This record gives sequence, C-alpha cells and structure tokens, in this order.
Amino acid sequence: MIAGLYLPGDGWIHGLSAPVKLGFMFFTGLTIVVISHVSVMVLLTISVGFIFSVVAGLGFKRLWLSTRPLLIWVLAILLAQLWLVSAEAAVLISLRLVTLVWVATLVTYTTRLSEMSDVLAAMCSVLRPLGVNPERIAFLIALTIRLIPSVFDIVRDVRDVQKARGLERAYIAMFVPALTRLLRESDALSDALTARGFERWGDKR
Amino acid sequence: MISIDHVTVRLQSRVVLDDLALSLTEHRIGVIGDNGSGKSTFAKLLNGLLLPDHGTVTVDGFDTRSDGKKVRSRVGFLFQNPDNQIVMPTVAEDLALGLKPLRLDGDVLRQRISDTLERFSLSHLADRSAHLLSGGEKQLVALAGVMIAEPDILVCDEPTTLLDRRNAELVMKTIADLPCTVIVVTHHVEHLDSFDRVLVLDKGRISHDGAPDCAIPLYLGPLS
Repeated sequence: MIAGLYLPGDGWIHGLSAPVKLGFMFFTGLTIVVISHVSVMVLLTISVGFIFSVVAGLGFKRLWLSTRPLLIWVLAILLAQLWLVSAEAAVLISLRLVTLVWVATLVTYTTRLSEMSDVLAAMCSVLRPLGVNPERIAFLIALTIRLIPSVFDIVRDVRDVQKARGLERAYIAMFVPALTRLLRESDALSDALTARGFERWGDKR
Repeated sequence: MISIDHVTVRLQSRVVLDDLALSLTEHRIGVIGDNGSGKSTFAKLLNGLLLPDHGTVTVDGFDTRSDGKKVRSRVGFLFQNPDNQIVMPTVAEDLALGLKPLRLDGDVLRQRISDTLERFSLSHLADRSAHLLSGGEKQLVALAGVMIAEPDILVCDEPTTLLDRRNAELVMKTIADLPCTVIVVTHHVEHLDSFDRVLVLDKGRISHDGAPDCAIPLYLGPLS
C-alpha cells in the first residue's frame, strides 16, 4: 500500500471514512489467514476483485496493473509450495497474497493521504502524555511515503545523465550526484515546511 | 513593516549580505541583482528562514530571531521551485496543509479551501495530483497554498524563473492582484514596472534603491 496514489472518484467506497477502510483491510487480512479451504479463498479473491474493479469503479485494467508486479513472486511461491507442500497449499497462499495486495491497493486508491494521516494521528495520540506530537508523527510518516516516488525520480534523472555521459555502470558516479540532490531537495523541503507553519502545528490556539 | 537593521550574513567565510540597513514599507517591492548578489539570502531573511550573523530583522516589531513563529505567520514565502513547496499529493490536500496551524473545524476548513481554489481559478484541479500539473499550475497551487493562510506580507523568491513566458505572466498577474504587501525577488525586471520600489543588490550591498524607472535602468546599465 503506497499512500499518495489516491484516485479521485465519487463511488461509495471513496465516500467511506478512512478508519472504516483500514478496518476492512485489517479484517480481510485476518480472514485470509483463517481461511483454509481453497474454494472459500477463491470466492473471497473474486469478491475482492469485484469490489475493486466494479464497486469502487477502479476497473479491471487497474486490477491487472496492481497484480502484474506480483506475478513473479506469486509464481516463485507457487512453485516452492508445490514442491515443498501440496498443490492446495500453493494455490491457497498465492491467492492470499494476491487478495491482500488488492485490498491494500483498493484502500490506497480510494483514500486521501490526509485522511490516512488523520487516522495515524489518532492512533499516535496515546503517545501525547509522553510529550509526543501525534500530528507531527503522522505527517512525517505520510511525508516519507509520499516522497518515495520523488526519490526514484531523482535517481532516474541522475542515471539518465550518467548514461548520456557513457557511465551506465558507474554506480559510484551515480551515488554522489544523487545524494547531493537528495540533500539539496530535503533542505528545500525543510525550508518550505518551516515557511508553511510546520513548527506551529503543536501550538495551542 | 519590515525593518532591516545593519544586517550582515556570512555563509561559511563568504559575506553574502554586508551591513544592510533599510525599511520596507511599500506595497510592492522588487529585488533584482546578478547571480550570487545575495537576493535569495535577502528573501530568506525576511521571514526568518535564515538568521543574520549581525544585526536584526523585525516584522511589525517582531524579531525574526526571537519571534520566528510570529514572523512566519505574518510573512508567507513562495519558493522558486513549486515542487519543493507542494507537499501533499492532491491540490486540495496541499491547501489544507497551509491551514494546519489554525486547527479549523471540518466545514470551515473545506469552505476556506473551496474559496481559495475559486479565487485562484483552481477549483477544477482540487482532486488532481499536484505533481502532475503544468509548471504554471503548480506555481499557482503553491501560491494558493501560501495565501490560504492570509499572510500580511508575501515574499516570492524568483517565482517565474522555471516558467515559460505565458505562465510567468499569469503568475505575476496573479501576484500583482493580491491585496497584501508583496516583495518579489526576480531576474525578470519587466515584471516590476508597476512596483513602488526596486532594490538592486550587488555583492551583498544595495547598489540602487528607488522607483522602477530609476533603479532598473541603473541596474541594466549600457544593456538597457
């Protein structure tokens, strides 16, 4: 589940609150572990796929796109389980993995990062007596997740530049400019957060 | 009013700003100068993002050193690169971030976001991914994200440098229409024609200070 990939929509799953969706994800995760019959697991997988593509309106294409990166892992697990345990266990564990990823992706696509962040803040509020600011903790977690694609962008840019210079496999030559850019970007982000009042979040009105 | 009292800033051993003393009271102020003249450092001094090594900077009587939070709640800052300023994934969420310090209730928060989006003609982008917008749209989102907190003063550090001519003009027109005091650091001197005052920085000192029709030709020199 990568927050920050929210897709706007007006379906009823989009309208559900973040705690409900996270609760659904948690409950489904537990159910998946408990189910031991392949037929029941197949039914659950189909149901989750239907909710993802039809009920939430995300479509079969997105369902496939969220499954595709998993296929190599699913295949590896399937073969290992076939060899080590049984065909039934292989199918069961593969379906569990796919279903869990579908549920997590469904929550990601239909929930705003800010809503997710509010849930995290509520969960962290038990730490308030210890002097912890839950809003800041939640924001920092959300920000970290949100910045993952930016880090990949920087590394890709630097790799392209080095490629253009004929240094395709010079990993050290890539590391230094990438690190320099990351440090510069984090400095700029820190300035932007300060300018936008991040330091005043914990203040009483 | 911003008051700069004999301010010197050093970065490592280099003097970036050298004993500046001036008051900024005009509604529209432009700051120009060559690369490395200290323009961005000057801008960052005005809301306490950077503190002087010597001297003081005060905004409405609040010292940036001791009252940084109060200063920053009065002085908004627009950065050159909106990608560094836009933090949240969607436009509406990023605007909401600017209101976090105010802890507004849900309905009031939503209304304020909606009003601000409308004011900057961004309503149609509310749920769009901010990082997938065009450069001009991103800079307007960044501007809206600052202005939603209703600062008294807006400092813009080269807000049009990364934009094409059409988007640069759109952003500068939007900035020109703002009701608050605006201080713009820029290379694009043509945007400062209607400003009240232009400061020219050269090697960390104010080399010219006056109305645009006086200061800009002096800065451009024989090129103009």
